[in-house]
Amino acid sequence: MSQPPARRWRVSRRGFLIGAGVVGGGLALGATLGLPWLRLALADVVDGAAPPTIVTTDPAFWFEIAADGRVRLAMPKVEMGQGIHTALAQIAAEELELAWEQIEVVPSSSAGPVADNFGTNASNSVASLFAPLRETAATMRELLRAEAADRLGVAPAALRVANGAFFVADDPERRLSYGELAADAARREVPAEPPVLKPSTAWTLIGASVPRVDLPAKIRGAATYGYDARAEGMLYGAVARPPSLGATLRRAAPGEAARRPGVVAVVAERDFAGVAAESRSAAAAAVRAMDLEWTEGPPLQQEQIDARVRAVPGRGVVIQRAGNAAAALRGPGVITAEYRTPMAAHAHLEPQAALVDVRPDRVLARVSTQYPLGTAQAIARALGRDARTVEVVPTYLGGGFGRRMVSEVAVEAARLSAAAGRPVHVGWSRAEEFHHGFVRPPTHHVLRAALGPDGRIVALEHSQASGGVIFPFIPAPLRALFGADFGAWRGACISYAVPHISVSAEHVPLPIATGAWRGLGLLANIFAIESFIDELAHIAGADPLAFRIAHTGDDEHGRRLRAVLTTVAERAGWGTPAPAGRARGVACSIDAGTVVAHIAEVSRKPEGGVRVHTVWAVVDPGLPINPDGVAAQTEGNICMGLSSVLFERLSVRNGRIAADNFGAYPLLTMRDAPAIEVTVLRSGDVPYGAGEPPMGPIGAAVANAVFALTGQRLRELPLTEV
Amino acid sequence: MNLVINGQTYQVAKDPPRVLLWVLRDELGLTGTKFGCGAGYCGACTVHLDGVAVRSCQVPVSRVAGRAVTTIEGLARGEELHPVQRAFLEAQTPQCGWCMSGQMMTATALIAANPRPSEEEIIAAMDGNYCRCGAYARIRRAVARAAALARAATEAV
Repeated sequence: MSQPPARRWRVSRRGFLIGAGVVGGGLALGATLGLPWLRLALADVVDGAAPPTIVTTDPAFWFEIAADGRVRLAMPKVEMGQGIHTALAQIAAEELELAWEQIEVVPSSSAGPVADNFGTNASNSVASLFAPLRETAATMRELLRAEAADRLGVAPAALRVANGAFFVADDPERRLSYGELAADAARREVPAEPPVLKPSTAWTLIGASVPRVDLPAKIRGAATYGYDARAEGMLYGAVARPPSLGATLRRAAPGEAARRPGVVAVVAERDFAGVAAESRSAAAAAVRAMDLEWTEGPPLQQEQIDARVRAVPGRGVVIQRAGNAAAALRGPGVITAEYRTPMAAHAHLEPQAALVDVRPDRVLARVSTQYPLGTAQAIARALGRDARTVEVVPTYLGGGFGRRMVSEVAVEAARLSAAAGRPVHVGWSRAEEFHHGFVRPPTHHVLRAALGPDGRIVALEHSQASGGVIFPFIPAPLRALFGADFGAWRGACISYAVPHISVSAEHVPLPIATGAWRGLGLLANIFAIESFIDELAHIAGADPLAFRIAHTGDDEHGRRLRAVLTTVAERAGWGTPAPAGRARGVACSIDAGTVVAHIAEVSRKPEGGVRVHTVWAVVDPGLPINPDGVAAQTEGNICMGLSSVLFERLSVRNGRIAADNFGAYPLLTMRDAPAIEVTVLRSGDVPYGAGEPPMGPIGAAVANAVFALTGQRLRELPLTEV
Repeated sequence: MNLVINGQTYQVAKDPPRVLLWVLRDELGLTGTKFGCGAGYCGACTVHLDGVAVRSCQVPVSRVAGRAVTTIEGLARGEELHPVQRAFLEAQTPQCGWCMSGQMMTATALIAANPRPSEEEIIAAMDGNYCRCGAYARIRRAVARAAALARAATEAV
């Protein structure tokens, strides 16, 4: 496996790092995200994102200009289909004044110098990197400008820049390209003053729907994912799996495994048993020949899990409070409803996979992981090595959806490679995906409200209980500090202007591993809240859309909510009757700074079940970096969300997850995919997330449409009883 | 045993019995064909056998000897993309991309057999290919567009 060239960094003014050791003599400028990053991390934790880990002083991303003028952006965020490589390259190329073809994106590895301490998650990549990327790119541009001014003998202000070259404003023939300037610019000091950033009116790449940088390779089947990673002399690994949830190895011995054909190494340890062999099938067959004894897990049933997940008003940790909801909800006439969502699988179509080469002095790994640094640390812990000697290079990911924040498969491949002395590839089967790791937690919600004589909401209370989303992955003292699992209550707060609000969340420890699933708590919480708002609108005798608009606030969120609601109403023709046999429902949400409204038009299938014909979606991500990319994420979120809303329910029977494969856990297919009409709004010059927020309202939009069609209020996902 | 894949002949061992998917991926390094479920549900491993779309995770390699196998790597002619690839790229269809080889191979077989597929025929043909990222609307559009591009290419000849 190849390793990127090592770079040394000197610390420069304003916290930048200037790289030495760039191939062919060039300029590299890196930025540690430092304090602003820490602040962001804290904000993320509060908003419900990933847990913070140790922040290193290595640059979080860097640019590199080679002598031939190529500009490479080493990208801390992984590409799992969300188009992040393209969006971040747009931001960088804009400020660096590059033609779009001049920038190349490479994934950065976990080992020095780049390290992304948080992984790619929570729809925060663009929002968190927008400002630092622009400032770093502009600083690099100004370094090059200073060098060009000296070389051309003119004042810096006399220079113009375009397509990766500076030229004299009144004598364009006198020009120097970045490639010609790079080596000498690398010896300069970063300007003391922060550079002036390009005004938004001058942007040509930010806000443009440029084609995705990763698609040409994906179209040809030439993109490398974790399952595709290969190395000279590699072996294939297979791992023994517990027969039921909670079972552990009591005793492990190689048994007959070592004598099976093609077997190179057998590992039988206290907590791990596996085989490395010349082929996948040989490895799998040899594991079955091992002499293993398992403890028996409890004969767990789904009902036992569901019984634990029960929200009780007043019992959870209060996460949002306005006025005095408890007092306002004391009288008669309180409206109450309960909602439930089931466990779900991530079902990314590329099962977990990793290629790991454990050598005496270092470890090289290629993994489809959302969290290269965390994966490197996990490998280091398992092997008893220094994490700085473990390098994880992320590949493309065949879907992530939160599941790949943890990449157990890399640790498995590392343990087998350590034993075999050769690179080992481990790729999970679909059954391993269904049975091992973690799932989306089940949730339960109790909503209570009181309406005033004018039909307005006086008080609104949301009490939710959920299995862990972030809590299972952070230490107990942090859990105590936070009280409630901020991943589980993502989306649980009320975005409407209501005098008395109380929202509480209760973390329910479960006998099955649960964790982050695309949007974390968003789909479940918004399903509950926005279904209930619809119930209140009907009780108040109001139009559900007008009722929502009437309850938006006077702040920025309120304004943006009104804009998406008004726009989606226009697009869908809300207020005009739906075609015969169909009805429409509306819902909206705010998540990761992005405001979304959906209208779904549904009918009842002749054979039973809901048919969703069309979804009109309006998304305001603040500043859409790539509007078509935002539209694609919106379409994808709607379909993935609908798959959950209409079909998916993972359950436990006799101590095992009941599904082995898609036969028992079907996903949405093209036949059930609606027509989707997306409108992307721009409300400012600051970008917010797009990878998850459009998931929010889809459950309630469909359930509300079903109510409009049938008068039946479905309060549990999936919406199968129609 | 000889396999003819994308017009090229490969020699592979007859034994042990195994399915085409893993021979393509692990023995021949043709990793463009993807593994998703190993049970024929998801369609990620779709290739052509004598021009017909099949699930390579369900095809014993012994049954393939002497027949023409086409994989995603064989769809383009050098630099020139197949109309299906052009259409998928034009619509910016893939997200993670893992299902897309199978989607494009299924679409190619459909269009070869039926140059003017109706929307219902597109859905019927593509319904067995999962896309977890949920790019179905674009896939549907891209397949219709690919059929038009393929017809235009045929008429131009």
